[in-house]
Amino acid sequence: MNLKQTIKLAAKSIGARKGRTFLTMLGVIIGLAAVIILVTYASGTTKQMMELMQSMGTNQIQVSAYKWSSRQDDDSVFNALYNYCRQMDDLVVGVTPSQSCWATIQYGAKSSRTMDYSDYDHYPPEVYLGSDQWAACNNAKIAKGRDLTYLDVQGNNQVCVLGSRAAKLFFNYADPIGETMTFDGVPFTVIGVYDERVDESTLTEDNQWYKQQNNFILLPYTAIRALKVGGSSSVSSYSTDFVVKAKNSAASQEIQARLEGFLKTLVGDAKTGSSYGSYNIYSQDSYIDSTKEASQAQQALLGGIAAISLIVGGIGIMNIMLVTVTERTREIGIRKAIGAERKNIIIQFLIEACMICGIGGILGILVGYAGTLIVCKQTLGIILLPSYGITVGSFVISVGLGIVFGLYPAIKASGLQPVEALRAE
Amino acid sequence: MLIDIKDVYKIYNEGEEREVRALNGVSLNIDRGEFVAVVGQSGSGKSTLMNILGCLDIPTYGDYHLDGQDVTDLTDKQLSHVRNKQIGFIFQGFNLIPALSAYENVELPLIYQGVKASIRRERVQDALERVSLWDRREHKPTEMSGGQQQRVAIARAIATHPPIILADEPTGALDSKTGKHVLDILRRLYKEGTTVILITHDNSIAATAPRVIRISDGQIMADAPQEVDWL
Repeated sequence: MNLKQTIKLAAKSIGARKGRTFLTMLGVIIGLAAVIILVTYASGTTKQMMELMQSMGTNQIQVSAYKWSSRQDDDSVFNALYNYCRQMDDLVVGVTPSQSCWATIQYGAKSSRTMDYSDYDHYPPEVYLGSDQWAACNNAKIAKGRDLTYLDVQGNNQVCVLGSRAAKLFFNYADPIGETMTFDGVPFTVIGVYDERVDESTLTEDNQWYKQQNNFILLPYTAIRALKVGGSSSVSSYSTDFVVKAKNSAASQEIQARLEGFLKTLVGDAKTGSSYGSYNIYSQDSYIDSTKEASQAQQALLGGIAAISLIVGGIGIMNIMLVTVTERTREIGIRKAIGAERKNIIIQFLIEACMICGIGGILGILVGYAGTLIVCKQTLGIILLPSYGITVGSFVISVGLGIVFGLYPAIKASGLQPVEALRAE
Repeated sequence: MLIDIKDVYKIYNEGEEREVRALNGVSLNIDRGEFVAVVGQSGSGKSTLMNILGCLDIPTYGDYHLDGQDVTDLTDKQLSHVRNKQIGFIFQGFNLIPALSAYENVELPLIYQGVKASIRRERVQDALERVSLWDRREHKPTEMSGGQQQRVAIARAIATHPPIILADEPTGALDSKTGKHVLDILRRLYKEGTTVILITHDNSIAATAPRVIRISDGQIMADAPQEVDWL
C-alpha cells in the first residue's frame, strides 16, 4: 500500500467529517496565528526601539570636561580633545561639542517665540552648537546644500544647517539655501539641510517626541562669540559637554579607556586632589544593551504564552483523534478483516492527524500574516511581515504536534483484535 | 486439504466461575471447492468458529492448518496477509466503510495487497459487474438498499480472487427475495471453484447446501452431505 493511496484515504475520511475537523483545526489555527502575531509584534517593537536609538546615535561617548580657570568663551579643552581624537581616527568617527542654546530664531515674519510648545508638529527647533563632525556623531546626512566645514568653525563663519523639520517649519517648500535667519538678532546664512534622522512616517502616537530629532538648527560652536557680541543673555555659558562617536562598540571601550588617561592629565582629577578641573565619561551603550535584553525577554514571554495555546491546540487534536478512533473502531475492524496490517492503520491515522495539523498550520499562517499586518499597522504604524524562520518554525511545530498527538490514538487503534473491533457499534 | 482444524477450543475467562466454552473441541476438514453450511442456534459457537476459520480470532487451544500452513504460529502481520489473500468475508451487517463509495470499498483490499492501479481498476470493475452494480460504483453505502450493500460486500470479498469465501449470515438482514439473489451469487462462485462456507441459523438455507455441519454448545453434532436441486 503506497503513500499516495494512504493520503487519499486520509483526505476522504477528513472530508467526511468537515465540521468537526474544522473545529479541531481551529485550535491549531488560533495557536499558530497567536505565536506568529505576538512574536512578530514583539520583534517589531524591539526593532523600532533600536532604530530610534540608532537614529539618536549609537556608540556615542558623552564627555564632560572643564577647567575651573576657563573663561566663558575658552574652547581650549575642546580643541585639545578634537586634536587628540583625530589621532585615533581608526577608532573615532567624529567629535563635537554637545551644546544647545535658547536663542530666538527669526526668519521673515516667523519667530520661534510665537510657535506652539504644546504640539510636536509646531514645536520650535532646538539650536545646537557643534563642530564640523556634529553630523557624523549624530547620524545626520546632508540632503541639500553642504554641511559645516572645519573652515566654517575656525573662521567663525555665521552659517547654519537645518534639520528637515526645522527647514519645513520656517521655509515650508521654499528653498532655504542662501537665506538669512537671525538668532537673537545675529544673522546666519543657511548653507544646507539635513535628511530626516528619524523616519517620521513610522512613528506611533506614543513616539511623537522623536520628531524633535529632525527639528534642530546647527551652528558652528564658535558662533557662540558672535551670539555673545550680539548681547544675548539667553546663550548658556561655555561648552563643557562633548560627544565622541566611536566606529563600533569595541572601539567605544578602547576610546573610553584612552580618554580617561587623556582627560586626567588635561583637566586633572578631583579624586586625586590635583583639582584644577573635572571630567566625566559616560556611554549609553550599556543602556541600549539592557533595553535590548528587556525587549528580547518580552519577546520570549509573549512567544511562550502563545506556545501554550499551540500546545492546547495539540491536545485538542489528540482528544479528537481518540474520539475518532473509538468511533471508528468498527471501521478499523473491517480494514483489518480485509487485510490491513497494523502499520497501515497507524500510518492512516497519523496522516489524518498530520493533514489536520498541516491544513490548520497553513490557515494559521495565513491568519497570522493577516493579523500581523493589521496589528503592526494599527499599533506600530509600520508594515511588518513575520520572519521566514518563525513561519517555517511554527509550521513544523504544528505538524510535529500532529505526529506526537496523533501517534497515541493511532497505536491504540492498530492494536485492536479484528474480532473485537468488529463487535463495536 | 484446504481447511484442517483439530481439537479447537475457544474458552473465555478460563478457570473462572464465569468460564464460557464457545468452542469445545471442534475438529473439521474442508476440501478445496466445497460448499459447506454451518448451522446452529445463536450462542451455539458458529460465529466463533467462523472468526477462527477467518483468522479474525485465535483459538485458545488446538491446531488450525490453512492450505497446509499452521495459522496459530503466524504473526499479526502474516495473519493480515492471510485474511487479505486467502479469505473473502461477507458479513451479516455488510461492514462497508461509510465514507467510501462502492468502488472504493471494493478497491480497498486490493490497495492493501499492493496491486497496481491499472490492474486494480480491472478487478474492481470485474467484481462489481459480477454483482451487477458497476453502474452504481460511485454511490456511498448509505445511498444503497441493503441488498445492494450486501452485493458490494460480495464484490469486495471476491475482488482479490480468494480461494475461500466466508459468509456469516449473509442474508440475515435482507428480505427473502434479495436474500435469494445473494445466495444465487454464492452458488455461482461455488460452481466456478471457490470454496464457500456459509454460516446461518436458518435451516431452510442450510437445506440448500451440499454439505451441512450442525453445531450446538460449541461442538459439532452432525456433518453430512446432502442432495440439492440446484446442482
